[in-house]
Order: sequence, then structure tokens, then C-alpha cells
Amino acid sequence: MIAKRINVLWAILGVVGGMALGAWYMGSRIQSPAEIAARTAAPEASPILVPVESRVLSSDVVTRGTVRFGLPQPISIAPSTVKGAVGLISSLPRPNANFGEGEVILSASGRPVFVLSGAAPAFRDMAPGTSGGDVRQLEEALARLGFDPGTVDGNYDQKTSGAVERMYKKAGWDPFAPTREQRAAVAALEREWSDAARAQLAAEATRETAVKAVGAARATAEQNTRQAALDSAARVGDSRQLADARAGKSLALEAERARAAHSATAASADVATQVADRALIVLDPRQTETARAAAEAKLKVARAAQRKAKLEADLAIQTAAREAGLADERIRVAEGAVKAARLEGERNVRAAQEQQTLAEFDVQAASERAGRLERELATARAKLGVQVPADEVVFIPSLPIRVHEVSAAVAANASGPVMSVTDNQLSIDSQLPLEAAPLVKPGMKVAIDEQALGIKATGVVETVATTPGTRGVDGYHFYLGVRVETTPVLLAGFSVRLTIPIETSKGAVTAVPTSAVSLAADGTSRVLVDRGGKQEFVTVQPGLSTGGYVEVNIPDGGLAPGQLVVVGYKTAEPAAAK
Amino acid sequence: MKKTICAGLFAVLLAPATAAAQAQAPKGLGTEEFGMSPRELVQAIEKTEELIARCMREQGFQYIAADHNTVRAGMTADKQLPGLSEEEFVNRYGFGVSTFYTGLPPQLSTGYNPARVGLGERNVQIFRKLSPADQVAYNRALLGDDVFSTLAVALETEDLSRTGGCTRKALTETFKPDQLKASHYNPQDALINKDPRMKAAIAFWQREMKKAGFEYGHPDEIEPDLRNRLSALTEGGKLLVIKMSQDQKAALRKLQDFERLVSVRAHKLHEEVLTPIEEKIQEELFSRKVQ
Repeated sequence: MIAKRINVLWAILGVVGGMALGAWYMGSRIQSPAEIAARTAAPEASPILVPVESRVLSSDVVTRGTVRFGLPQPISIAPSTVKGAVGLISSLPRPNANFGEGEVILSASGRPVFVLSGAAPAFRDMAPGTSGGDVRQLEEALARLGFDPGTVDGNYDQKTSGAVERMYKKAGWDPFAPTREQRAAVAALEREWSDAARAQLAAEATRETAVKAVGAARATAEQNTRQAALDSAARVGDSRQLADARAGKSLALEAERARAAHSATAASADVATQVADRALIVLDPRQTETARAAAEAKLKVARAAQRKAKLEADLAIQTAAREAGLADERIRVAEGAVKAARLEGERNVRAAQEQQTLAEFDVQAASERAGRLERELATARAKLGVQVPADEVVFIPSLPIRVHEVSAAVAANASGPVMSVTDNQLSIDSQLPLEAAPLVKPGMKVAIDEQALGIKATGVVETVATTPGTRGVDGYHFYLGVRVETTPVLLAGFSVRLTIPIETSKGAVTAVPTSAVSLAADGTSRVLVDRGGKQEFVTVQPGLSTGGYVEVNIPDGGLAPGQLVVVGYKTAEPAAAK
Repeated sequence: MKKTICAGLFAVLLAPATAAAQAQAPKGLGTEEFGMSPRELVQAIEKTEELIARCMREQGFQYIAADHNTVRAGMTADKQLPGLSEEEFVNRYGFGVSTFYTGLPPQLSTGYNPARVGLGERNVQIFRKLSPADQVAYNRALLGDDVFSTLAVALETEDLSRTGGCTRKALTETFKPDQLKASHYNPQDALINKDPRMKAAIAFWQREMKKAGFEYGHPDEIEPDLRNRLSALTEGGKLLVIKMSQDQKAALRKLQDFERLVSVRAHKLHEEVLTPIEEKIQEELFSRKVQ
């Protein structure tokens, strides 16, 4: 019985379940026309209302750009000749560090490298005595820094040296004093100059001696000339005497002949006297034999005397004749001696003159050398002041500067390019599409912003390329250069948005979304204004349209900011997406 | 006895509802990502790309709205390399999360990169012509902090929460707010996961994974976990591999090894255990096999 009831119950449950399934299946399959119509009917649209606004409309060109400082320029350190060797870099600045005029940008081997403003780079050591454009740059920089360099004339004088010394000391560095080599060079110059001065004095003394020697030679020559004159006179006399001698009219000879004739006459007279005496004696018998003998003897003596006189006269004549013959020879000898004496005198004079010339040349050479050494010494002494080695200063055209990239390393040689720097003027490299480029002109204001950081800045269009594809942009864009004018922070390296207003409304105007304006059948523009649930078309005069908004002008002022206008109608959104 | 009768009666009365739940998907539920229909997905992609382009234009950048095919190509490029099946890809590169990491933005990468594919070649070329600073700003404007979460990747992974920049701004206008959250789950997947068969399969998957030494509750947890680990290791994906320290490189290699291991195991289990059940449930839901 119970089992039967249970089976009935199960049967009832089965029927109920089957009916439920059937009902569910039928319910899911069968739809009434009303349900279908309701399901497929368009939902009731509701207007989308937006308020009328009073705003400044601006038609903008928006682009991006990367902010940078000026174009990087390398900084090179010129080698210094006053220093023995290139220094080693001991300190370097960090990138983005800023430097102004008179600041030390790096140090090498314990010496500073100053940054100064100047168009031309430092290319040589500047020391007292040097002059040129680089010195003028140095003086101008010193003057700007307040260190009076005296007259800015491009000459490195003692005032310049003093100003440089003050600059070094103010920066905490010792000025560059003369090097040991420079001092040794000056000392060597001093010694050379001293030797040259002595040599000059010696040469001058030699010249004085030579001058005197010339005078002496001239006096000797003059004396010889006189002697020659005398010799000449003697030669004339001798010549005349010779002529006389040759003509047999030699006075000596004649004198000797006269004397011989006189002696012969006297001897003859004596002989005649003796002959007469002897004849008297001989003829006088009273005379003794002795007397006769004596007379005879006397006669003999007289005759002997006569012969002697004759011999002596002949000898004297012969001697005189020989003497006359020798006179010609002596004249020739005298003439030769005179000529030799004259030539000797002339040679002596010429030699003395040559010595004088040589002495004067020596004096001139010694004077020139002494003068040159004196000038060099003066220059070297002047250079012993404070100097600026070429590797201790860099001239930059525009200051202040910012370190862009450091290419050298500490302990490397401080020579050649060590870093690149830029100026502090921020610029932006950007680009414009082909269609926007003609709208942008140099001088236009630019709004600059970095949205992530909330930075806003202003700039001005500096360059718009005239041809696409220049300065790193592709061929479908024009290069745009913008100069940053005001910025709260340094934007270097940032990518910023550039908004260039092309056309703006003059002040705030009444504006509605562009989609709110529709065209009426008569061609007029109109907006649908919501007035408390009731919508009414209002005719408007559209103006500037930009940024999704359009300026609307209503002659009777029937549209005020805050009123709602219809921009569209809201329909049911999709199930999964909006 | 009475209990048995009541239980039977309850079962009979509940049968229609159960049958309804298992037999048919809810109205409006599509087979594509985020439960969208193919048409809705195409419309969403087109609209999002257009909004991205407009947003990028407002930022001063040029961006060409990618068409649906391009984005779809990016989506399908996930775990795909020419000449490799998905299994071979997983065996070699895991899920491709850390194994292809270079630190470069997707536009500059040269190898496997679904994000780059989804952006479109024209946008990649536009990006490459920008200065380094502009490239950073471009990706920040387009993608926000996570430069790998492009639209294609976000759609493929069904995780819009990692998007940023103009992509997110556009997505907020095309997707519902709850779809933008990390907690959002594809209704279709949620429906499948509710299925007792799937629950049992996932439980089995969990046990097997645990035996292999991996503590994951669901296959969908693996890739986000790998991304988070990679992000922590690479400073949010901004650290270039070439600039990594030796320790960081070692940690990256370790993560890559881990990814390969977990991927191979998870993929094998997924294909053997979950996929058959998932396909069966999808067939029941949509009366056809979902592609």
C-alpha cells in the first residue's frame, strides 16, 4: 500500500516536473507581438544638454618639442708654452653645472681654468709685453669682473698683470708667477748682455786705438812724404851734381884738380926754386959741398914733393871722379828709398784705416748685440710679471654656460677638447605638419606646458623652416624652433607641448559646442535652446569655430552663458560597451 | 524517507533553472573579450583608437588610429612567433613576459612584441623619428606608466587597469567603469568558472600545480604575477637590460627560468584539463565552438 502511494507520488512529481520543463521551454520560445514590438522598439531619446559658455576661443596649432639649451659647443684647452708639460685634470664639472664669467670650470695639476667671455679662443700664453685681440678680450673680461686692467688697449702691461693677479687671488688661486726657466732665461740674458756691453766697450777702445793708429800712420806717411820731398831735392841736387860730374865739372873734382894744379904749380915752383938754389950753390964755388949736397937734396925733396903732389892730385881727382860715379848710384838708391818709404807710409795708412774700419764694425756689431740683448732683457724682465698661461683660461662667446657633456676624465691630459657646453638660453626643437607650417610665423607667441609636472612656460617662435625635411625632421614636416622666454623651472631635456594660437577671439565670447549648431531650411544657423524642458530654436550668427566650440552671436542677445542647448540625443547604450 | 522525497521534489523543481543556467548564455553576452560580440569589439576598438588619436593630437603628438585588423593582429600575436606552435613557444619562451624583456619601449623592440604589432607600423615609425625625450613623453601620453599595456595587449589580457595616458582616457569613454578595474572579470569566463565541472577541473589544476611547486589558484593569475615580478625587478619596466647590474641580470634570468617552468606546466595542464571542459561549456552556452 505504502509502496503504491509512493509510486503515485513519484508519478505526480514526474508529471509536475515535466509540466514545469514544458512550461519553461514554451515560455522561452513563445513571445507575444507586443513583447516583440516592445523589445525591438527604439528607446525614447533624451536630449543631451550642455551649457552655453562665455570663453575665449583660440584656434591653435599644437605640436611637441624637446627643450634644450643652445647648441653644444666644445671647450678645448690650448697648450701652454710657459709650462713644461701638459697638466693632468684634477677636477671636472658635472653635466648641467652652470658657470659664469670669472669662475673656475676645472683644474689641472693644481692650476685653475677660468671661464671668460670672448669671441676668439685662447691660443697662446698672455704675459706682460704681449698684445693682441686675445689680450683685449682678457682686459675687457677683467674690467667686467671689476679688476681694473688699466686702459683696454690690447697690451698686457703691469696694470693688466695686477688685475690678473687680483682675479686669481679672489678665486682662491695663486697667480701664475714667473717660472724657474723664465728666471734662468732672464739671468742668462743678463749675463749675455753684460758680456756684450763689455765687448762693446772693448770694441770702442779698439776703434779709438785704430783711429789713433790711422793718425799715426798718416803722420808717418806725411813725414815720409816730406822725407821724400827732401830726398827728391837731394836727388835733384845729386842729379845736377851727377850731370856736372858727367860733364867733368864736378866741383870736388875741379877743386881737387885745382888743388892738384896748385900743388903741382907749387911743387914745380919749389922744384924751380930748388933748382935755382942748387944752381946758385953749384955755381957758387964758395958753397960747400955740403951746401951743394943740401941744395941737391932739397931739389930732390922738391921734386919728390912735386911728384907727391902730382900723385896726390891724381889720387884726389880719381877719388873725386869715383865719388861722382857713386853719386848716381846713391841717387837711385835714394829714389828707391823714397818710393819705398812713401809706399810703406801709404800701406801703413791703409792698414790703419782698415783696422779702424774693422774696429768700427766691431763696435757697431757689439753695440747692436748689446742693444738687442738689452731689449730682450727688458722684455724678459717685463714678462716676469703675473701671466696667464694658455691652458688656464677659456674664452666663451656667450656666458653663462651650462656643461652639456664632459668628454675628458680626471687624470687625463688637460689638452684639447675636454667638454661641451651650451649657453643658458632654452630653445625647443619641434616640427610642424605640412598643413600647419604656413600658419606659423616667427615671432608668434607659444604656450609651453608639461602636463605631467604641471609646468607652464611661454615662448616665441624663432624659426620656421622654409623647406620640409631639414634639421633632423622627416620630409613630411617643417622644422620649428621656439625660444623659451619665461619658465618656472629649467625644462632642458623635457618633451613639452607647444600650443601656438593662430587665431583668437577678442576676449570672451558666447560659445556653444559645434554640434549644437544646426542649419535651418532657410540657410540660417540655429541652436536648440532648452527653456525649462521646452526646447526652442534660436537663430545665431556663427563666428570663430575651434576646439569643438563655435562663437555664436545673437542680435537680440537671446542666448546667455549658462543656458542649456541641445547637442544630441542620448540613446540606449550597448550591453557590454558604452 | 521524507527527506529523500523533499530532496527529489527540490531537485525536480530546480531542474529548469539549472538547465537554463547551463544551457544558454545570458542575453547580450558575447564571445569576444569582455563579453562583447565581435561587432561590439570592432566598434569599441575603432572608437577607442579614434579617441586615442584625438587625445594624442591634443597632446601635440601624431598618432594614426590603428584599424581593427591591426589591433586584432596585436592581440593574436600573443604567444605567437612564426614557425612555432603555441606549445613550442611556451616551451621556449614561457608566456613571453620576462623572456623577451629588454627594457626598450615596444616601438623600439625588434623581436617578439605583441604591443608593437598592435600599435601599427605607421605609429611605430612616427615614434622612432622622435627625439629620446619626445619618445618618453609620447609613450607617457599614449600609454601612461606601463608602456607595454597597449590597447591590443590590454584587450587580449582583458586587463584594462594597467593602461594609462590617452589609451586609458579613450577606454573610459568606450568601456564601462567596472571593466576598467583590475577586478573585472570577463562574464563569459566568470560563467564558465562557475560551472561545477570547471570548478572541479580548476581544483585539479591547482593540485597539480602545487605538486609542481607553484601556488596559483587559477591560470589567469600566472601572467599578472609574472608581470608584477618583472615590474618589481625592472623598476616598472623602465630599466634597460644593458644597464642592469650583474645581480639584477641574475634575478632576471632566474625569473625567466621560473616563467618557463611555470608556463610549461600550466600550459600543459590547461590544454589537457581545462580546455576540453571550457570548450564543452562554451558549446553549451553558445551552441557552437567559440573561436
